[in-house]
Amino acid sequence: MATPAAQLRAKAALIQPRARLEVTLRRVLGPDYRMGFLFVAPIVVLVLALVAYPFCYAVYLSMTRKYVGMAPVWVGFENYVRLTYDGFFQRAVVNSFVFTFASVGIKLILGMGMALVLTSKIRFRSFWTGVLLIPWVAPTVVSALNFLWIFDYSLGVLNYLLVHVFGILNRGVGWLSEPNTAMSSVIGVNVWRGFPFFGISFLAGMKAIPGELYEAAAVDGATPLQRFRYVTIPGIRNILMIVVLLSTIWTFNDFAIIYILTKGGPGGATMVLPVLTYEIAFGAQRLGEAIAVALYMLPPLAFVIIVLSNYMRKGRAR
Amino acid sequence: MIVRKGRSTVQIERTQSAVSYAILITFLLFVIFPFYWMIVTSFKGETQMRSLVSMFWPSPFVSENYDHLFAKTEFVSWYKNSIIVSVSSTFLATAVGTLGAYALARLKFLGRAFMASTVLITYLVPPSILFIPLYAQIRNLGMADSLTGLIAAYPSFTVPFVTWLLMGYFESIPVELEESAMIDGATRFGAFRRVILPLAAPGLLASGLYAFTQAWNEFLYALVFITNVRLRTLPVGLSTFITGDVYGWGYLMAGAVLTTLPVIAAYIYLQKYMVEGLTAGSVKG
Repeated sequence: MATPAAQLRAKAALIQPRARLEVTLRRVLGPDYRMGFLFVAPIVVLVLALVAYPFCYAVYLSMTRKYVGMAPVWVGFENYVRLTYDGFFQRAVVNSFVFTFASVGIKLILGMGMALVLTSKIRFRSFWTGVLLIPWVAPTVVSALNFLWIFDYSLGVLNYLLVHVFGILNRGVGWLSEPNTAMSSVIGVNVWRGFPFFGISFLAGMKAIPGELYEAAAVDGATPLQRFRYVTIPGIRNILMIVVLLSTIWTFNDFAIIYILTKGGPGGATMVLPVLTYEIAFGAQRLGEAIAVALYMLPPLAFVIIVLSNYMRKGRAR
Repeated sequence: MIVRKGRSTVQIERTQSAVSYAILITFLLFVIFPFYWMIVTSFKGETQMRSLVSMFWPSPFVSENYDHLFAKTEFVSWYKNSIIVSVSSTFLATAVGTLGAYALARLKFLGRAFMASTVLITYLVPPSILFIPLYAQIRNLGMADSLTGLIAAYPSFTVPFVTWLLMGYFESIPVELEESAMIDGATRFGAFRRVILPLAAPGLLASGLYAFTQAWNEFLYALVFITNVRLRTLPVGLSTFITGDVYGWGYLMAGAVLTTLPVIAAYIYLQKYMVEGLTAGSVKG
């Protein structure tokens, strides 16, 4: 009679080499490696072809002099250096930051207001929630065109309301054609479209805060403002960070609204980096320089993306 | 603790709800008015628009803007193009995203965590830094100026979003359900198909709707890749109506109404799933 260990050894010797390979593969590649690789393969292909490769190609092109239909010529960091001292580009950078911070700031305030209203005691709450989300669902281009018409100098409804209905102004304002109002107008449209996203996200966060926390705070004599500051805000902190950072990325890279409303005008007053990228690429046909414009802000963008993706993963893990 | 509501408390509550309603109504006016204005404009005649009479109601009601849109522009082709591109992108993204999300949420294999992070980061990379190299690539493949080019490019934003959203759904389904199916003799794939997929159906619906909406609304790629007038999608087509003359606004707004319609209809019909998906896709807490 052989010992159990010897029996096992004898069995192991009988296992086919193929099966042994399979055991090793499972140990190295993970127990579900076959199905896992098969299921993830399409995503890997798409990410490589549609994001990774174009991104690397973009970095390369930004270091060349490249015109549409011609071979690129390597110039190193020349495009970046030239842009750094280009007044028009500098102005676009400033505009991009003004546009982004103003939009995100106002969206944050309005979104908070929307969430607070929708958690207060009102009737048909879920219906109103649905209605307030519509600007976020509607096509951006349609909304931008819609506001182009609203802002129209002679026939637009905004001037009509201000001059004829409310009598606030004597004569209409060229909302999009005057440098001082153009930036506020495009910010307004971005806010209109984007604040519902803030509102609905904060609402989801606020609903998840246990009611006992508010009751306890009320028993301790906290005023509504203190309850907001010490219960609501900490409760939605994670969501707040995610929404603000997400919106910062989206707003900084918003192309459609400004392209349709002003094309960066008047005189560059609303020119932001995505529109400038497009203009240099397809107006001036200088692709290398255009991509340098798009990639100039990559370091801060990459930083925001990494911080944000950590927050988003953390949100999931809970 | 019993709180007795005194007169002042009732009054405070009344004031609070009055303030709530006032703010709500302000928000509603702000949100709804542009849509109202769009619809009213689409039914106004040219003379009425030019003379600023009866600003907030069409008088008379006319259909000339819609007639013009169908008879004198390429609007119908654009509509068809938008449907082709959006529907194809939706199916592609949902198929690829479902398989990938399941693998990334459930299966154990080398590189899983890395791919999960990559998907998330890909979702966050903005199109404004990818559109030029993508255009060059599509052109080299001979797909510039074709709907195929757009269908090939749109997964760059639809797939990462759908995958990320569905990963959340799959993670929320208890592992035990799958395990018990496998103990009962189902294969891993069988458990996925018969147990997990039906449970994730609301998630599939929400993510599909989002993929559709994203593709339907997409502007930058469609603007850059397509030059043939007949091959434009709706957003690009509509944007070419801006000519600066008075007559354009009526049919532009008619086109805007018809372009918004399918998205809003889908949204009203499936609001519950979409709101859920929206909060699950970007935020979950």
